[in-house]
Amino acid sequence: MLARLDNVTKRYVKNEGIRDLTLGFPAGEVVGVLGLNGSGKSTLLKLLAGLLFPTDGAVTVYDAWPRRNRAKLVFLGETDALWPWMTPREAEKFMAGLYSDFDRSRFNELLDALEVPRRKTKSMSRGERGRLRLAMALARNAKLYLLDEPLAGIDLLSREKILSSIVQEWHTDETILLSTHEVAEAEGLFERVIFLKDGRLALDAQAEALRQEGKSVVDAFREVLS
Amino acid sequence: MKRLRTLLWLEHRRSWVWAVSLLGSLAFWAWGIKQVHAMDVGERLGIRAGILAMAAGIGAVVLCLMIGRIRAETRHGQYQVLLLTPPTGYTHIAARYLYAAAVGFAYFITIGFLYWWIMALAGIHLDPTTLVELILAVPLYGISVTVLPAMAWTLLLMVFISAYRISGPGWIPGTVMVLGTPFAFRWLVEGIVRVSYTLPGWRLFANAPAALIERFGSPDPGVTMQVNEVMYNGVPLEPLLIMLALTAAFLVIAGRIWQEVEG
Repeated sequence: MLARLDNVTKRYVKNEGIRDLTLGFPAGEVVGVLGLNGSGKSTLLKLLAGLLFPTDGAVTVYDAWPRRNRAKLVFLGETDALWPWMTPREAEKFMAGLYSDFDRSRFNELLDALEVPRRKTKSMSRGERGRLRLAMALARNAKLYLLDEPLAGIDLLSREKILSSIVQEWHTDETILLSTHEVAEAEGLFERVIFLKDGRLALDAQAEALRQEGKSVVDAFREVLS
Repeated sequence: MKRLRTLLWLEHRRSWVWAVSLLGSLAFWAWGIKQVHAMDVGERLGIRAGILAMAAGIGAVVLCLMIGRIRAETRHGQYQVLLLTPPTGYTHIAARYLYAAAVGFAYFITIGFLYWWIMALAGIHLDPTTLVELILAVPLYGISVTVLPAMAWTLLLMVFISAYRISGPGWIPGTVMVLGTPFAFRWLVEGIVRVSYTLPGWRLFANAPAALIERFGSPDPGVTMQVNEVMYNGVPLEPLLIMLALTAAFLVIAGRIWQEVEG
C-alpha cells in the first residue's frame, strides 16, 4: 500500500476536519476525493502530504510519516501559492534545484501543452497560474500525487487542458488523489471515488462498479451527499 | 549544497529589493555626511560619526524586518510550498539567515569604510593596522554582538508565530515572546557585564591614540588615562562568545520548529 490512514481524526480548534477515517491507497489508482465544502477533502490530502498531523490515528506514506517522505510525493495545494515575481523559467530553476526527480524537459513540454505564458506570475491570469503550478507538479517523477482543487476558480478551457494533461501524464504505477468540485468534468478520470461528508467517509467505491449499477459519479454524488 | 544554493537564490529573489535599498541607502548617508559644514573639525567629526551611528541602527532594524517577512508567506501559501520541499527546516533557516547576514556584513563593513573616510576628512591619518581594525574587526565584532543575535531572534519569533497559526491564535505566543524580550534582554546584559573580562580582552585600536594626538594634540591627563585603560584592556570577548552561542541556539530552535510545524 502506497499510503494509508488508520482511524484518523483531525481536530482543529473549533471543529473536526476528519473523523475516524480508515483508507488505503495502492499504487496505480486515480482517486476522486469528493464532497461538499468543509467535508474534509483538503484535510485528508494535507494529512497525506504531511502538512497536517493527525489528532488521533496514524497516517503513513511508503510506511513512514509522510513528512519524512516529502521528497517522494507531490502535493498541489488549493492556494495560489507562487511568488508574484516568479517566471516559468525561475519556477523550473526552483523545482530542479530542490527536487531530484524533477524533469526539466517534461516541464517545458507541459508548459507548451498547457499554453503557459513565459512571464511573471503576477501578470498571469488565475488559470495560467494554475496551469503553471500543475506543470511544476506533473514534471516530477513521483509515485503519489495529491492534487487539491487544481480546477478551482479556473476557466473552462484551462480546466480541460489541466484534465487532459493529468490523463496524459499518468503512468500505471502512479497514484493520483484529486479533489474537485467539478465532478461532472473530472468523472471520466476516476477509477475510484471517495465521498466525504462532515469529515466522515460516506462512500468508497470503484467508478466502474457505480457505472454497472447504472449510476454516474455525479448521480452517486447527489445521492450520497444531498 | 545544490539545495542550499537554490534556497539562497530564492532568498535573493525574495529580498533583493530590500538588500539593494539598504546598501543603496549608504549613498544617502554619505551625501548627508558631505552636507555637514560645522566650523570646528572635532564637532564636524562628531556629527558625522553620529550620522553613521544612526545609519548603523537603522540598518539593523531594516535587516530584522527583512528576515522576519514570514507572515505574508504564510498567508499566501508559499510557506506551505517550502514546508514540503526536501531540504530540512535547518537548511531553510540557514539560507534565510546566511543571506541576511551577508547583506548585513556588506552594509556594516561599508559603514566602517565611511568611518575611515570621515576621519580622513578630519585629517586623521590611520596606520594600516588601525585601518583594518576599523573596517573589518569593529564591524564584525559589532554585528556579531548586536545585529546577528537580533536577526536570529526575529527569525525565531516569526517562525514561532507562524507555527501556531493553525493550532491556536498566533498572537498569544507572539505577545508572550515580545513582552518577555525586554526582561530577557536585561538579564542577558546583566549576565554579560558580570562575566566580561574574565577572558583576556581583544585589543583593538592600540595605535589609535597616537593618530588622534597627532591630529588634535594631547587631551587633558584624565581623558588620556581613561583612553589608555580601554586600549590596554581591549574589548571583552565574552559578549561576542555569548551572543554567537545564543544566535546559534535561536537558529537551531527555529529550524526545529520549521521541521515540526503544520502547514
